[in-house]
Amino acid sequence: MRPYQVATAAAIVLIAAVAMFDSRAAFSPSAGTAPGDVGSRWYPFWAATIMGVASVFVGYRALTTPQGVEGAFAGAKSLFAVLKLAVPMLGYALLIGGIRWRTTDFTYTIVPPFGFYLSTALYMGLFAWWLGRYKIWWVGAIAVAFPIVIFAVFEIGFRVSLPKSFLYDSGILPF
Amino acid sequence: MEVFGDLAGGFATALHPINMAMLFVAVVLGLVIGVLPGLGGTSGVAILLPITVFIAHGSLPGSDATTAIIFLAGIYWGALFGGVITSILFNIPGEPWAVVLLFDGFPLAKRLGKPGLALASSFVSSFLGALVSTILFTFFALPIALKALEFGPAELFAVFVLSFATLIGLGAEAPMKSVAMLALGLLLAAVGFDTVTGEQRLNFGQISLLSGISFVPVTIGLFGIGEILASAEEQGIGFVENISARLGLQDVFAAVGELRKRLRLVLSNAVIGFFFGVLPGHGATAASFLGYGLARQYSKNKENFGKGEISGIMGPQAAADSAGVASLVPMITLGIPGSPTSAVIMAGLFIWGLQPGPVLFIQHPDFVWGLIASIYLGHLLTFILCLLAVPLLAMIMRVPYAIITPFIVVISIIGSYSLNNSMLDVFITVIFGLIGYWLRKMKYPLAPLVVALVLGDSMERELRKALIAGHGSPLYFFNSGLSTVLLVLAIVLVLIPLVRTIRARRRGAAPPAAVAHP
Repeated sequence: MRPYQVATAAAIVLIAAVAMFDSRAAFSPSAGTAPGDVGSRWYPFWAATIMGVASVFVGYRALTTPQGVEGAFAGAKSLFAVLKLAVPMLGYALLIGGIRWRTTDFTYTIVPPFGFYLSTALYMGLFAWWLGRYKIWWVGAIAVAFPIVIFAVFEIGFRVSLPKSFLYDSGILPF
Repeated sequence: MEVFGDLAGGFATALHPINMAMLFVAVVLGLVIGVLPGLGGTSGVAILLPITVFIAHGSLPGSDATTAIIFLAGIYWGALFGGVITSILFNIPGEPWAVVLLFDGFPLAKRLGKPGLALASSFVSSFLGALVSTILFTFFALPIALKALEFGPAELFAVFVLSFATLIGLGAEAPMKSVAMLALGLLLAAVGFDTVTGEQRLNFGQISLLSGISFVPVTIGLFGIGEILASAEEQGIGFVENISARLGLQDVFAAVGELRKRLRLVLSNAVIGFFFGVLPGHGATAASFLGYGLARQYSKNKENFGKGEISGIMGPQAAADSAGVASLVPMITLGIPGSPTSAVIMAGLFIWGLQPGPVLFIQHPDFVWGLIASIYLGHLLTFILCLLAVPLLAMIMRVPYAIITPFIVVISIIGSYSLNNSMLDVFITVIFGLIGYWLRKMKYPLAPLVVALVLGDSMERELRKALIAGHGSPLYFFNSGLSTVLLVLAIVLVLIPLVRTIRARRRGAAPPAAVAHP
């Protein structure tokens, strides 16, 4: 566990260092708006300092005290169980808004926005097919039923507008 | 006895048909959330928080902010009860505060073959614990709020410091990890415009970060996505022990009989749970373990603990539910959340345009007393539903992993997006889900992060107001007797872990972790 504990503490120290650098104007004499005011950078600077010092201590303790022999994951099976969930989740989040590449002059669409409902259909269907190993008609039913129920509850019932797909923009689908 | 008049008014508000309907829906949702191992009370409340914006603004006929708070709190009450069902029947805790029921609840259900008695014992003690806590809430809330109205910036800042100190001093995790998480929460709260000067900070040129990092997507990520990832790793979902989930009337009568034998234990644990729950960051989970320890300590049948002892169910349950209710007390009276769940509920108040704290009692008495009355009604409703619907709730555990897990992710994404219609919030949820999962693995406490994120802005404002009032002198904080006492108390609390370590070293205690080096 030691390398993971140390690496986690180091990552927090790095975040603290970046925040301290951003808030380096904390000690500017013209920081505040009124006599006695410490200004806008003082508070984040000291929050970052406390975070950094505490994490240095955590890292030091992890290096100098006995640690468990186990790794961060119980085994490859545990790691894959997490990845099986995390990777499709990241893909799902990216698919909703689509993937674009912006330059100073142009925006290239690499993946068009699938919107919430189409992405959900694909995401739920993927899990039903991949992890559930359901027959194809069950996969289809799950992929269709969930977005429709969510549309009815949120879009119609609660009037919550969720992101729409590129097919909605061209008038092919109602979502 | 002004309280009785206020409470009667509260009942009139809470008993309004729309409020009762939403309370019913919330309790059912809370029970379902409590039963699902991948979804906790905090994440459930956070995910459904955006919906309350529409409830609070009258999307439903007759609904207002009181309906919204009754709805959110109802989810919490349902989750408090629902989490125990899976612990007792399937040996899988639905909620962190139900973990302690694995020790005696599951053995009573499986080894001794009395699942009905185990469930009924848990429900009656939960109900009594919550009732005691709500009565204390009713009588304590107003005096605390009236006292808090006299607080200036120095006292308010000292209260914030004290609440953070309790998270460090009384937390179960390493104190320095709590400090790091607290500071991270304060730092995240500082992102965007400074509320005093209007200057940009910590946004690194990103316009989308100018309005700051919203609390809701972070919480949904840390608790919702983080928990589901942890569940996936443990592979607990999908494995279901086959125990009958039927609950008969005879079980309820038997449980009431057992409760009468343990009335002192349950009542004392409920009172202790209340005062423990009022402390920030120590909601139901910590109280449940404290309640179990006390039940065992003062039991004549210590040897039966771990084998299905009913005191091992009733003791922690009374304390846990009592603490769950009590965690709302500092949130409502002082504007300081007592637990991560109450922090989410407090975020709801901000979103609906209300300012949690003592002024609520003056400006919105209907809201406060409606909430308090709904706690009585919510627990009664939850108790009845639990007695009637246990078999139905147990069936939820049989929903396949391949459906329930992605569905929780989908609902989390809806919750994070719909508050500000922002895809950035969706990515914040996913990123904080991964961060929360990892921090949990590395044994960093998440409660300090969440509480600091909610309170960060207010704490900075009070600190700067106090410094301006004192012309920059930190001695201003010691001008008032109350703030001096609170700050000294905070220092004492922070020193507790240090004293504990020194005493353990003097006694020559063995190091807590395994001794081998990786």
